[in-house]
Amino acid sequence: MPPDKLNEENFDHMLSQALQRHEEPVPPAFTDMMLRRVKQAEQQRILAHVVLQERLALAACIALASAIIIVAVAFPGTAIGALRGVAADLAGQGQAFVSRFGQAAEIFSGDWRFYAILASVLGFAVYSLVELFVGDRLRTA
Amino acid sequence: MGKRSWRQEDDWLRQLRSGDHNAFAEFIDKYKETVFLCCRRMGLREDETEDVASETFLAAYKALRRYGGQAELSTWLWSIAYRQAVNYLRKNKRHRQLQTELDEEIVGTEEQAPLTQAQSREQQEIVWQAVNHLPRLWAVAVILHYRETKSIAEIAEIMRIRQNTVKTYLFRGREKLKQILSPVLRDEIDATG
Repeated sequence: MPPDKLNEENFDHMLSQALQRHEEPVPPAFTDMMLRRVKQAEQQRILAHVVLQERLALAACIALASAIIIVAVAFPGTAIGALRGVAADLAGQGQAFVSRFGQAAEIFSGDWRFYAILASVLGFAVYSLVELFVGDRLRTA
Repeated sequence: MGKRSWRQEDDWLRQLRSGDHNAFAEFIDKYKETVFLCCRRMGLREDETEDVASETFLAAYKALRRYGGQAELSTWLWSIAYRQAVNYLRKNKRHRQLQTELDEEIVGTEEQAPLTQAQSREQQEIVWQAVNHLPRLWAVAVILHYRETKSIAEIAEIMRIRQNTVKTYLFRGREKLKQILSPVLRDEIDATG
């Protein structure tokens, strides 16, 4: 080896060793700060998602209402015919539904199991309403 | 953090991809030094370094779900950190200087002040000081190769440059380091091995 030449392999080895031993300073509590930022970013992402859904729902309502108005203005005859048809259909189905109530009441009257189930359902509904409106206040009182 | 089996590593990666905060905290602890090193070597100031490091980890958190293991996790994170640093420099109008370095117009032409040989100094500190004398792209390539043991192909992927350019950066960086270090560490280099 010429005297002015470095030992190449040793140089590479020394370079690797020295660089691998180097410790880069990092601000204390960086990990905690980063985790806080990640949680904030997640909350913002969820919020943005909800806002987007609400905007889409609002846009859909506006679009539907606009479409109905446009159809009603452009084709008034067709629109009124369709509305009458829908109204008549709904009225017919409503009458049928009410009459079925009567039939069901006749069948179940006198059966204690029916009343027990009905009482349970009503009780659960009352409990859900109380929980929904005053549950938090009752728990913290 | 001790060495883990491939199964533990696999479980950890799965947790990481699913957005588990504990796994992500471990991920930050494991790689924060690397990210800070990349930012500082790219010439960012101290306050900028912390901002860009935060942005890097946030970007990594968002992209982790899509990480498929094609590249090593450290290579993948290096490429994000490097890109974030370059984008930051570009936004702050300091990209021109980096571009100039990329075009190799001024690379290596600056005469650096010679290193002073302080007897009490550790060899590693002297080497690190020498690396800090290199133009930043050479320094990043040298660090990736000699510290992070990345291959030429991986460095090219991280820095988004051709493999031949990486080889050039490494060759020139190494020559410059030899030039800087040989008067200071000749005896130790010849004795190592």
